[in-house]
Amino acid sequence: MTSNALKISGLTRRFGSTVALDDFNLEVGIGELVALLGPSGCGKTTALRIIAGLEKEDAGRVYLGDVDITMRPANKRNMGMVFQSYSLFPNLTVEENVAFGLQMRKVNKSQRVNRAHELLELVGLNSQSKRFPHQLSGGQQQRVALARALAYEPEVLLLDEPLSALDAQVRANLREEIRRLQLALGTTTLFVTHDQEEAMSISDRVGVMNHGKLEQIADPNTLYNQPATAFVAGFVGVMNRIPTKSQNGYVNIFGKDYEAQFIGSVSEDVIALVRPEKISVHASTVNSNAKLLMKSFLGSSTQLTCQLSDGLVIHALSDSQECNNLELGSLITLQYNSKKALVGSV
Amino acid sequence: MAEDLTLSSQLSSFKVTGANSRTGYLRNGIGDILPIAPLVIFLLVFFLWPISAVFVNAFKDNDGTFTWSNYLLLFQDPYRRAFYNSVRLGIISALTGAIPGALIALIIEKIGGNRLKKIVASVSGVLANTGGVPLAFMFLAAFGPEGLATLSLKALGIDIYGHGFTLFSFWGLVIIYSYFQIPIMVIIFSPAIEAIRKEWHDASQSLGASNYQYWRFIGIPILIPSFIASFLLLFASAFSAFATARAMTVGNISLVPLIIGTLLDGNLTVNQFNLGYALAMGMIIIALIAMIPYLIIQRKTSRWLH
Amino acid sequence: MAPLRTKKSTSLIARVFLVCVGILVCLPLIGAAEFSLREGGRTKHSFHAYRWIFEQEDFSKTLLTTLQISLVAVFVTFFLMVPTVAWLHIQGKRYLRFVEVLTVLPLIIPVVALATGAALALPAWIQSSKYILSMMYVVLAMPFTFRALDIGMRGRQLDILVAAARSLGAKWWSIIFMIITPIILKSIFASIFLTVALSLGEFTFAQLLHWSTFPTWVAVAAQGNILGATALSVSALLSAWLLLFSFTFFDRKKQNEAK
Repeated sequence: MTSNALKISGLTRRFGSTVALDDFNLEVGIGELVALLGPSGCGKTTALRIIAGLEKEDAGRVYLGDVDITMRPANKRNMGMVFQSYSLFPNLTVEENVAFGLQMRKVNKSQRVNRAHELLELVGLNSQSKRFPHQLSGGQQQRVALARALAYEPEVLLLDEPLSALDAQVRANLREEIRRLQLALGTTTLFVTHDQEEAMSISDRVGVMNHGKLEQIADPNTLYNQPATAFVAGFVGVMNRIPTKSQNGYVNIFGKDYEAQFIGSVSEDVIALVRPEKISVHASTVNSNAKLLMKSFLGSSTQLTCQLSDGLVIHALSDSQECNNLELGSLITLQYNSKKALVGSV
Repeated sequence: MAEDLTLSSQLSSFKVTGANSRTGYLRNGIGDILPIAPLVIFLLVFFLWPISAVFVNAFKDNDGTFTWSNYLLLFQDPYRRAFYNSVRLGIISALTGAIPGALIALIIEKIGGNRLKKIVASVSGVLANTGGVPLAFMFLAAFGPEGLATLSLKALGIDIYGHGFTLFSFWGLVIIYSYFQIPIMVIIFSPAIEAIRKEWHDASQSLGASNYQYWRFIGIPILIPSFIASFLLLFASAFSAFATARAMTVGNISLVPLIIGTLLDGNLTVNQFNLGYALAMGMIIIALIAMIPYLIIQRKTSRWLH
Repeated sequence: MAPLRTKKSTSLIARVFLVCVGILVCLPLIGAAEFSLREGGRTKHSFHAYRWIFEQEDFSKTLLTTLQISLVAVFVTFFLMVPTVAWLHIQGKRYLRFVEVLTVLPLIIPVVALATGAALALPAWIQSSKYILSMMYVVLAMPFTFRALDIGMRGRQLDILVAAARSLGAKWWSIIFMIITPIILKSIFASIFLTVALSLGEFTFAQLLHWSTFPTWVAVAAQGNILGATALSVSALLSAWLLLFSFTFFDRKKQNEAK
């Protein structure tokens, strides 16, 4: 007896000599939105397609609630899926596309038309119901695809990079809309993406994948501040990697010692992992340890590119107001503002 | 010197950069259509003029006065019969080309690797251009009473001449035409099949459709317009084929192109020249009926399957 | 596309089907080739019929005529089509659709009807030259040559390239020969090839306008010597296929290089 909507255990899949999934495990709670994040080729899409039943696994099991559905064909799994693009049926109108799942479930015509309009209303496209997919913009097409996948109240919604073919502005809007709908309908959702901002902004939990394995799964905050592996630390957000020495559980950063939190094995030569926003920058002529190379204005904050005297380039993030007085090429002092420091092995 | 005209007119249109002066504006206006003038004039002389002449002369009698009688003759035998035969040949040959051709294109897409696809594309491209007299003789030699194909089929227990079959017949023509019709179908139908996205099959599955339902509601409806368009093109190709038919039917099937050919050979009276023009107009009208929907469907499906 | 998980049995049936198709494609050709090698009976084979071809005076005569006609057709196509289509892509985009419709018309009209009209309408001084056939072949090939050039130029942003060349001071002739021609070289070859292939095999126009070309001579020669006619047909088909194959091969190689 579990409270999981979806459980995957020991999933393995090989394509020739490459291993797409290597003993992959995942549990998704009822009504939860979980994102699978990773670089391309990390196996996240393969995992999603196996869950949907569109691809075969070499080993492992997929459970829907307590039911083992590993052997169930795709069309009997009652999952909704949204693809990257071009998945709407070009010969059907928007309304017919949305009603298609209900039509397959033998729902009578008037009921499925009503339901299709309900869903189109939810995604704000009721006025477009008689149009054909090629008459819609990319963002509208993905909204229709979302409505289509939700129309028959699937037990799990699977999103396969649904936003990656869209423009930045449309992407940001639609991403929030997905979350709003998902919360309103309470649909258990698994969301595959390579865009960390996307994953971090709307998910309850984010699973970071690499080489067919789940590196870490946690809420976005934990993932960002307490990465469990060096890969997660490097992949999520911007991270400065500063080669340095550790001694007695302390590590030296910009000339000062901080309590070391080791990821992986403890050793003498280490790499300190430092977030840009944890670095403060001061103009100084004495005790300076770096030079300012570039300022990139980002709005409320400004990204500062600095070069240490040993040549290492460091990114810092500073309040725009505070770094007005910093001149390009001037000498500066960098300081790490935290008690503890994440440390990875070389 | 059509080419000189084109080049110099291009020169002028390149030089005109703005419409800020009045002469510039005027020159721009002329330069606007001048570059396509050679092509338009060429088509006027060698295409539209001949066609209009046919149209006009089909309404003339021997003395050059207006008459409907040439057209009215088309509705009487033997010309009515010839049109019937030609249209029937067009339809049946289009079917015997379209159905196997579509199947081959589907199978190649489904099981074929890249190499097989390339081979089939090249072979089809070559066979689609095979026609005329050589094609007729090839079949005559291979499937004649003493031909190797006939003899090997006989050795396998299939006697093609056992039931009174002859290549010099309607069905003989249908068989010979299929030698280029099927490859044409493979060529023009393959893009439609390739345009079918894997996502549509995946999406239909995840929405609960079986394989059968996918083909019924999505796959076949998507392919139908392309199939109809291809069918129409094959119809037109068989309907107006002349060379092979002329070599294969020594007067024993009456087809419109063959009658026109005979009328134009000039051994006959002037009166029948005008009848020939009416026959040609009849062919043009039937071809238009087939080809205009073809072009419309083509445009529509290309938008669908972009 | 490929619906996944094809059953083994369907795959087998498909393969058998393809093999049958292959046999059906080869059977007539092999049969005709074998037939053309016969000498008298069914058992004795020789190149007798092929020697006969070269003994015919009209063979080289009509072949030469056909080659001349196709050469002129190629030149007219090149100088008529390349500058026009280039201009349409550079400055005359609003006429592109109009010309596209115009050039597709010859595909719609049956060749027999067009030949009838040409014989009726074109003045005697045009009809008295065999190169009238070249002009008609340019028209017949136009739906294909226009498409080939149009596709070749589409998406190449010729207008921007030409604007850039002009801002660098290029003359119109260097624009055509140094910028446009190299970019669409493949399409130019394709349209030349289409025109040649069409000219070499065309029968209807030559027959109806009473010109003796290679294809019409084959039809005449056949009435005297069926073995010879078969040998002629086999060699005509084989050389046409060889030409077409070498072109598609060249075409593919070019495409691969482009990638």
